[in-house]
Amino acid sequence: MKPHLQRIFQSLAIIVWGGVMLYFYGSGRLNNYLTPDFRPIALAGGLGLLVLGLFNILTAHQEVGCGHDHGGEGEDAHDHESGDMHPLTAFALMIVPIALSVAWTKDKYSPAALARKGLYETPKNLITPFLASSMPQLTLEEIEKTHRKTPDGFLQFNLMELFFATGDRELQSLIDGLKVETEGRWVDEKVRNPNGTRKRLYRLFMTCCAADSQVIPIILDFGNAPPEFPENGWVKVSGTMRFPMEEGEIHPMLVVEQAIAAEPPFEESFMRK
Amino acid sequence: MSPDSQQDFALAFLSILFEGAPFILLGTLISGFIDVYLPAGTMDRFLPKNRYRAVMMAGLLGAVFPVCECAVVPVIRRLVKKGLPVSCAITYMLAAPIVNPITALSTWKAFQGQGAEMMTCSRMLLGYLIAVAVGFVVLRLPLRAVLKEQLVLSIEKDQANKASHAHEAHDHDHAGCSGHDDHAHEHSHAHEHGHAPENGQRMVAAFRSAMKDFVDVGVYFSIGVCITALFNTGIAPGAEWLDSLATNPTAAPAALMALAFVLSLCSTSDAFIAATLDKFSWGAKLAFLTFGPMMDVKLLFLYQSVLNKRFIVCLAISLFITIGTISIFWQNLIFQAK
Repeated sequence: MKPHLQRIFQSLAIIVWGGVMLYFYGSGRLNNYLTPDFRPIALAGGLGLLVLGLFNILTAHQEVGCGHDHGGEGEDAHDHESGDMHPLTAFALMIVPIALSVAWTKDKYSPAALARKGLYETPKNLITPFLASSMPQLTLEEIEKTHRKTPDGFLQFNLMELFFATGDRELQSLIDGLKVETEGRWVDEKVRNPNGTRKRLYRLFMTCCAADSQVIPIILDFGNAPPEFPENGWVKVSGTMRFPMEEGEIHPMLVVEQAIAAEPPFEESFMRK
Repeated sequence: MSPDSQQDFALAFLSILFEGAPFILLGTLISGFIDVYLPAGTMDRFLPKNRYRAVMMAGLLGAVFPVCECAVVPVIRRLVKKGLPVSCAITYMLAAPIVNPITALSTWKAFQGQGAEMMTCSRMLLGYLIAVAVGFVVLRLPLRAVLKEQLVLSIEKDQANKASHAHEAHDHDHAGCSGHDDHAHEHSHAHEHGHAPENGQRMVAAFRSAMKDFVDVGVYFSIGVCITALFNTGIAPGAEWLDSLATNPTAAPAALMALAFVLSLCSTSDAFIAATLDKFSWGAKLAFLTFGPMMDVKLLFLYQSVLNKRFIVCLAISLFITIGTISIFWQNLIFQAK
């Protein structure tokens, strides 16, 4: 392949990578993929790739010396540019996976993947010292100071606090019986649900990127048939928080009084601080 | 692949790619500018003449030039072409992702409340010692046993050019020849060079070189991320198996090294994952944090742009056994009280 064509293919591959990164950043979709500290890095990377690709595509036809003597004639396409594999193969290997991924992604995991990431695990198996250390120490005074009350008298908690109360006896005793409101994604309860009166609410906890995210779930108990909401849709629920012992383990359970569809929050996942 | 699997693969693939690509770009930009602007042998001048001391010093270069494992591969690839001894390059490649201030800070932050200082120091020390040990071994190996054939040929060609150039008349100016391979002679550089490029041309050459390096590394990274994403989204069937090994003092480090290999995490952030593996001993986590930045699925592919396949396999096996053994010993010696 002629050197300038090779440069054009390489530039295009780089522009596509940079363009995809910038598109995800600009559209806000990157929030579903990376924690906040990695997002500016991705933006800088996308811009850098775009500049690199554009610069090279605009100078693709320019013949330049590189400051070396390459010791012979006819070596214009010398070691500075000859790649490890055929330029078209390299182009395909760089473009096909990212193109397919952009086409396939829904910016969220499927129910099967969520199950693999702990959707139906008990808190005992999910709470780790690292996750626990991400939670601030709460007291009743702190709760009242830092949690707003809705007009209906429900204290607004985030799902992670309710989940972690399961492993913290002190916090559990503070929250048990409280009227709380929280939000998360709505999915079917597939375990310990003999009467079909339960659903599950979850959010993801991301350490660095979506690949390492972990599900933070609580059980919703309606006492009778639950209302209908789209699977994985955002729902705001309010009710009384309980921590019942079932099958020998404590579970976080919200006995629901109200449930309404909600807009997704700005940060859909919890992030490492 | 079912639609659900496609969706999961895509999410994992893009997230890892978005996380790693900027670091590869950084590495390839550095390598591109090294290619054109850095005179060959510059790194040599920073290193002691004694080969063993040079390897030991190379293990500490990450403290000055902090790069993660994605970024280090294109850099050392270029440095090897520029004449950096392969033993020093391999030592730097293995040590830099661990022995650098960013990784130290992230490890310390991630292990707060879990003996952060001890884990951070242990990780730095073990990473350094392993990298230097590998460097000492590489010192005794021929170039072809370590580097990929294409790179060896390229180096040999450059050396041949250098030799022929050394015998030419020197009526040229070397002021514009910063990227030139070393001349095997000492002489005044005050004469006219026939092919000295303009500064603008050298900028184009540097960006071209960076682009070529990015594509070379990006191809392997893309393949590695594909495999990582496939494992990552389907890894849970192995989770129970992993948990069952957590209390086994021998199998636990092996299991976490296998996990690090599959997950292919960045060394600047892998401590945040390791800290969540609370069922595992400190020794096992140390193995995870030391083995991962030196060898994982993504690196397996990235290394192929520099090293020959046989060496990569030997390196992987040696690292697995050595780091596993030291971690078990470390666990018994230091962490037993924990």
